[in-house]
Amino acid sequence: MGNTKNMVARIPNLVDWSTGEVRLMSAKCNSCGTYFFPKEHYQHRPGCSREGVEDGLLPNKGKLASYTVQYYPCPPPFKTEKNITPYGIGLVEFENEKIQVAGIITDTDLKSLKLGMEMETTTLTMFTNEEKQEVVTWAFRAVK
Amino acid sequence: MRDVYVIGTGIHPWEGFSEKVFADFAAVAVGRALKDAEIEWKKIQSIMAGIFIYGGNAGHLSGQYLESIFGETGVPVVNVYNACATGSAAIRMAFNSVAAGEADTALAFGADVSPKGFLTAKSDNAVQDRDVIRWKMTAMPNPVYWALECRKRMAKYDTTEEDLAQVKVLMSEYGSKNPDARFKKAYSLDEVLKSAYVCDPLRLYEICPVSTGAAAVIVTADKELIRKADRPVKINATTMGSSMYGDPTIRISALSCPAVPEAPMLSESYSASRQAYEKSGMGPQDVDLLELPDNSSWHYLVYLEVCGFCKEGEAEKMLRDGETRIGGKVAVNPSGGFSSHGEALSAQAIWQVIECASQLRGRCGPRQVENPKVAMAQTYGLMGNSGTTILSV
Repeated sequence: MGNTKNMVARIPNLVDWSTGEVRLMSAKCNSCGTYFFPKEHYQHRPGCSREGVEDGLLPNKGKLASYTVQYYPCPPPFKTEKNITPYGIGLVEFENEKIQVAGIITDTDLKSLKLGMEMETTTLTMFTNEEKQEVVTWAFRAVK
Repeated sequence: MRDVYVIGTGIHPWEGFSEKVFADFAAVAVGRALKDAEIEWKKIQSIMAGIFIYGGNAGHLSGQYLESIFGETGVPVVNVYNACATGSAAIRMAFNSVAAGEADTALAFGADVSPKGFLTAKSDNAVQDRDVIRWKMTAMPNPVYWALECRKRMAKYDTTEEDLAQVKVLMSEYGSKNPDARFKKAYSLDEVLKSAYVCDPLRLYEICPVSTGAAAVIVTADKELIRKADRPVKINATTMGSSMYGDPTIRISALSCPAVPEAPMLSESYSASRQAYEKSGMGPQDVDLLELPDNSSWHYLVYLEVCGFCKEGEAEKMLRDGETRIGGKVAVNPSGGFSSHGEALSAQAIWQVIECASQLRGRCGPRQVENPKVAMAQTYGLMGNSGTTILSV
């Protein structure tokens, strides 16, 4: 993670670094207990009153539930300044929240990936915008 | 409800990117279906059209475009989209309209021209269209979703890379015998295993591309037309399913999934198939041939389980033991599957039903299943869309 003051997420309301840790922005339904990501991706249990949906952050760390290595460049609208291909994609499980979230794997030897390994949420700079800000997405990396 | 029969089918063979117009493709398929049914256009009392989403106004009103080619008759035209299960929705509506007595004879069709390059986001509004998020933030083309599920499967059961490759070997053997398929080369296990990874564990030959194609089905309850038809095929059930809460599958376009399953995997397809079993009074044990959505080799395996043809974790054994071959317990994808055709969104579900009907009518030449009585077509569409059709003679 670079200079956070100069970072901006390419799409807002998905990833937060204001606490000093990078964490995904989720929401929990206090009626049916389901966590959502993105937070607007409602997944209520049928019959739920849908009352008391509360924003919250997922923990910084989780476990690798699945992964793949993508060997072909992702087409637009995905955009990076540097070529990142081949790149890893991970599905990281946040156990207490009973949710798995997908994201690019960064800063990790792709040959070292193993199911169950501990991963932490971080940011990945994709490009610099006209205001000279680093435009980022969330990403996962192996805990060192 | 009245009994409903397929009396005419038509396909425009599958191909790659084309400069041709989608409505011309549709007209070829519909023309062939009319000829097969030996009926005039004026007999069609209801038109259910699959939408061609990349075709702008024309594609979104594909039924109107088609109708004007054959001559406008004022009949109901409904245009429908359910992702890769679009054709299932069109067939189901045609069936329901005829079974209920609203129309005696109805047409369901879909035609798709593959856009050049990759399929990506269809809007730029991430608030309204969550699909934008996956393209801008996580760089996940569709096969990535399948690879993530395939990896989980390989860890849970003893799926091998050879199993994944063997699916392509089998599909390409059948595809090489299907004149309507796009890919007609038969591959060896070694050739498949030497193809490059797209997103490991899935290789280039183990995922399907997008294609151009069109398919049309004419259904009727008109006793005179059924009597006249060449080997009419009964539709025992045609259903649609959507996802169920707690389905652990990571659905294409989603960014998260439940960690603790409370519903079956691919629950939209579980739901559609179980509805079809209930309505038809039949089950997997009655099915002689199954057309399943082999978007990747993972799909081939998991769909045998989702549809109840074996227990969870037993699909690899079925494949290895030859139970899914033509001549085995259930002939799976004698058409060569999506692996040999590629996806043509609105047309593919209809083409699957046509393969079932053609097999039941004994029209499939070198890939013919021996004397089948019951066939089942199963689809899979992104974001929780699925359809099942069971047919019999």
